[in-house]
Amino acid sequence: MDFANLAAQLNAGTILPEGIVITTLMVVLVGDLIVGRSASRWLPYAAIAGLLSATAALYFQWDNVSPISFLGAFNSDDLSIVFRGIIALSAAVTILMSIRYVEQSGTALAEFIAILLSATLGGMFLSGANELVMIFISLETLSISSYLLTGYTKRDPRSNEAALKYLLIGASSTAVFLYGVSLLYGLSGGKTQLDAIAAGIANNSAGQSLGLVIALVFAIAGIAFKISAAPFHQWTPDVYEGSPTPVVAFLSVGSKAAGFALAIRLLTTAFPLVTEEWRFVFTALAVLSMVLGNVVALAQSSMKRMLAYSSIAQAGFIMIGLIAGTDAGYASMVFYLLVYLFMNLGGFICVILFSLRTGTDQISEYSGLYQKDPLLTLCLSICLLSLGGIPPLAGFFGKIYLFWAGWQAEQYGLVLLGLITTVISIYYYIRVVRMMVVKEPQEMSAAVKNYPEISWNLPGMRPLQVGLVLTLVATSLAGILSNPLFTLANNSIVRTPMLQPAVVSREVGQ
Amino acid sequence: MLSALIWLPVLGAALVGFWPGLSASRARFLALAVASSLLVWTVVLFSQFDISNPAIQFSELFPWIETLGLNYHLGVDGLSLPLLALAGILTWIAIYSSNESVERPRLYYALILSVNAGIVGGFLAQNLLLFILFYELELIPFYLLIAIWGGTPQRGYAAMKFLIYTAVSGILILAAFLGLAWLSGSSTFDYKAIITAGLPLTTQLILLTMLLVGFGIKIPLVPLHTWLPDAYVEASPPVAILLGGILAKLGTYGLVRFGLGLFPETWALVAPGLAIIGAISAVYGALTAIAQKDIKRMVAYSSIGHMGYVLLGAAAATEISLIGAVAQMVAHGLILAILFHLVGVIETKVGTRELDVLNGLMSPVRGLPLTSALLVLGGMASAGIPGMAGFVAEILVLQGSYSVFPLPTLVCVVCTGLTAVYFVILLNRTCFGKLDNNTAYYPKVKLPEEIPALVLAVVIFFLGLQPTWLVRWSESTVAAMVATVQIDNEQQVAAVEAPAIER
Repeated sequence: MDFANLAAQLNAGTILPEGIVITTLMVVLVGDLIVGRSASRWLPYAAIAGLLSATAALYFQWDNVSPISFLGAFNSDDLSIVFRGIIALSAAVTILMSIRYVEQSGTALAEFIAILLSATLGGMFLSGANELVMIFISLETLSISSYLLTGYTKRDPRSNEAALKYLLIGASSTAVFLYGVSLLYGLSGGKTQLDAIAAGIANNSAGQSLGLVIALVFAIAGIAFKISAAPFHQWTPDVYEGSPTPVVAFLSVGSKAAGFALAIRLLTTAFPLVTEEWRFVFTALAVLSMVLGNVVALAQSSMKRMLAYSSIAQAGFIMIGLIAGTDAGYASMVFYLLVYLFMNLGGFICVILFSLRTGTDQISEYSGLYQKDPLLTLCLSICLLSLGGIPPLAGFFGKIYLFWAGWQAEQYGLVLLGLITTVISIYYYIRVVRMMVVKEPQEMSAAVKNYPEISWNLPGMRPLQVGLVLTLVATSLAGILSNPLFTLANNSIVRTPMLQPAVVSREVGQ
Repeated sequence: MLSALIWLPVLGAALVGFWPGLSASRARFLALAVASSLLVWTVVLFSQFDISNPAIQFSELFPWIETLGLNYHLGVDGLSLPLLALAGILTWIAIYSSNESVERPRLYYALILSVNAGIVGGFLAQNLLLFILFYELELIPFYLLIAIWGGTPQRGYAAMKFLIYTAVSGILILAAFLGLAWLSGSSTFDYKAIITAGLPLTTQLILLTMLLVGFGIKIPLVPLHTWLPDAYVEASPPVAILLGGILAKLGTYGLVRFGLGLFPETWALVAPGLAIIGAISAVYGALTAIAQKDIKRMVAYSSIGHMGYVLLGAAAATEISLIGAVAQMVAHGLILAILFHLVGVIETKVGTRELDVLNGLMSPVRGLPLTSALLVLGGMASAGIPGMAGFVAEILVLQGSYSVFPLPTLVCVVCTGLTAVYFVILLNRTCFGKLDNNTAYYPKVKLPEEIPALVLAVVIFFLGLQPTWLVRWSESTVAAMVATVQIDNEQQVAAVEAPAIER
């Protein structure tokens, strides 16, 4: 194999965005080492710039003619580009909201950003990983960095507890996933590339074997852990409650998006022979997630716990698109994740701001907030109502698209359940809005009574303000002006060769 | 042309809500200005409207999200035009009659304007998804209006109940629309593009039932009405006017437009049941109203009864009954508004709504003579005394429905009598009798407080004496609508009879 051929086989240009992230990571680490503590003034902005330029690089990779790279280990098709973009953007917004938070917790910012960037890197590679080893390595990069992040405020016992819980459950779920993957390797006769696996399994006529089903279930267990689908969600509330809030924001959007990217790629390419089975398993997961997430969220008194259950429920909604298995289904997932990025991160920015100013995240402490901080009230209300699917906010269009796609794929029961649980979700989202907006001045909570004067001039507050306004604008307008996002989501699916046979077989099968 | 009716209030709401440093009186003035210009615009619309044309007029179509089949398609026809006028008048009245020292005025007026935008959008939408969007748009503003500016501490509960019921109704309608569009093989949610004709009867029945339950919650019909007394009574009078006067009409309008309009074949099958439910609603509303001790609650229950007539008229689906149903929607909106407004005035001046406490308000010196006189007038209009708008609407509904559903119609006729009973009770206790010397000397009612009621009284009288102005707008549209139903009826009759002959 001569060099030119090897270079073509490696096709290293496809991971240019990841390369930029790695460079940024190095800059952050080295910059912190050389300049010292004072580097934390510019480091976060350098990291954000790096992530944004990675996103820009992704933009130029759109419709890449030869997406396969590294001898088939990485596939930079349009689907992966969209997911990598979501992950990179969620990391950028997370950095915006973490500057003040990490400073206030008295830990080093540079290390935090470095770990967050490596988690981002893992998520981005996972979105395009096309080979079992690659999948495992990037999954572990993402997971281990996440464990570190959850335990980052190491003087806080709750953060330690969260990290330990996450580590233990995460490690066991990874083990299960690895076992499933190893079965896959064996059944296919020693193949590691996803498309070769499907062919290998078909050749070995193991299509309906018990082993394949076990491999499938184990692989799904690993994925479901990442997307925190019930019944693999037990870690979510505790980890969300204990970890630093910016980390939670990243886990709920970036990490989840990576999980969904893995789900689409692994299931459609490696398990086409058991499509009915994986649809069935995911239907069960979606039903459980929607019901459990929404119902248990009703009873929460801590804002972060409520958002944890809400994120379980939202994962349930997104799974409807996966189960539909049509072009529209996958596109609606992508679209929903795009708007979810804005509305969920917006919600978390508000939660962070509130806890920075008052030191609490109890829902009852929000009571009467409109008097002291109208902007925060407005933004949190808009984000929560959008999560609840109230028009004309972005979440409404996302939900409509998901339900429409699900209905078209004849998943009537799921869509009806989704609609019903949406009503339940409106109840607990509106509960927070009621606390903030409806309560009379005399019912104001102690935390709000002692609310500090709003000053955006403190170090690290500007980025929070920028993030707040950006997500607010995006959440309010991304619905009404959603055509570009729709086109993006649709194109990312239609132009991804991997999904086209799957979609065709589904449509023929009907 | 029609877009202005939606975007003007949206713009107004944004201005009132976000303009830095806007004072309370300026906010009120701005909101009133927006409402007045809407009213003027509606009048312009009326002058341009071609009453001989049954189809959609002033149509506006912009592609929006075509992947989903969602287009920005507005239009108005004889069914929605009178309701637009109603929404215009009542929004103006609601803003005008709001307490000038209302708390958090900017949020208040912004919410009222956005409610108006949502409801008017619902009347204008010619795309099913667009309708849903507007239908759900007013959910949160109304929730906040009830929960923040409501009366007793029970308002939070009432608001939440309203929210849950309406949200459920929204998802039922959404599910029915999704089913309609998908099963009828339409790639768009455009009203015109959806044809149910080819669907199996069972499917049509299921979809129609979902729609009926969905809209039935909004109207509300017995037994889906339990949110109504709480919400109407807890809401402040202007909000109650909006709730009962125009929001409930979104339910009846949807029932006629999407139930009757999209399912002309199946309508005949559900119509008898609907007529019976309508009659039951009328009886239930009247009887429970008689039993009330609180005048606001009494008016709220009377509203359930009156919506029963609309349902009866819609179920019968003859030309006269449908015109009557539209007229009843308008008349009921006007009458309910005048009653709620006067009840609100009495409550602020006398300090109570209890029938057992109120007495002798007609007293010319120490009572509230003008208010009482207007209340008598409102009660008479509600009871269907000739010469007022309510009579025209009721007689049309009853006359049109009698040939189709004689028994429910007769029950409804009895109910109009019962309406008179509870209004006699109400007026007798409140307005007549001897004023208690210890408590009397109520604050004088100022003229601006009476203006809304006076305006409404004039409109009610005018429409009662000149009923063509109430019904002429909808005649041709309704005729076209009825024609589709009747053709289908005949076809069905023929289809049923044909096998019998073979046998």
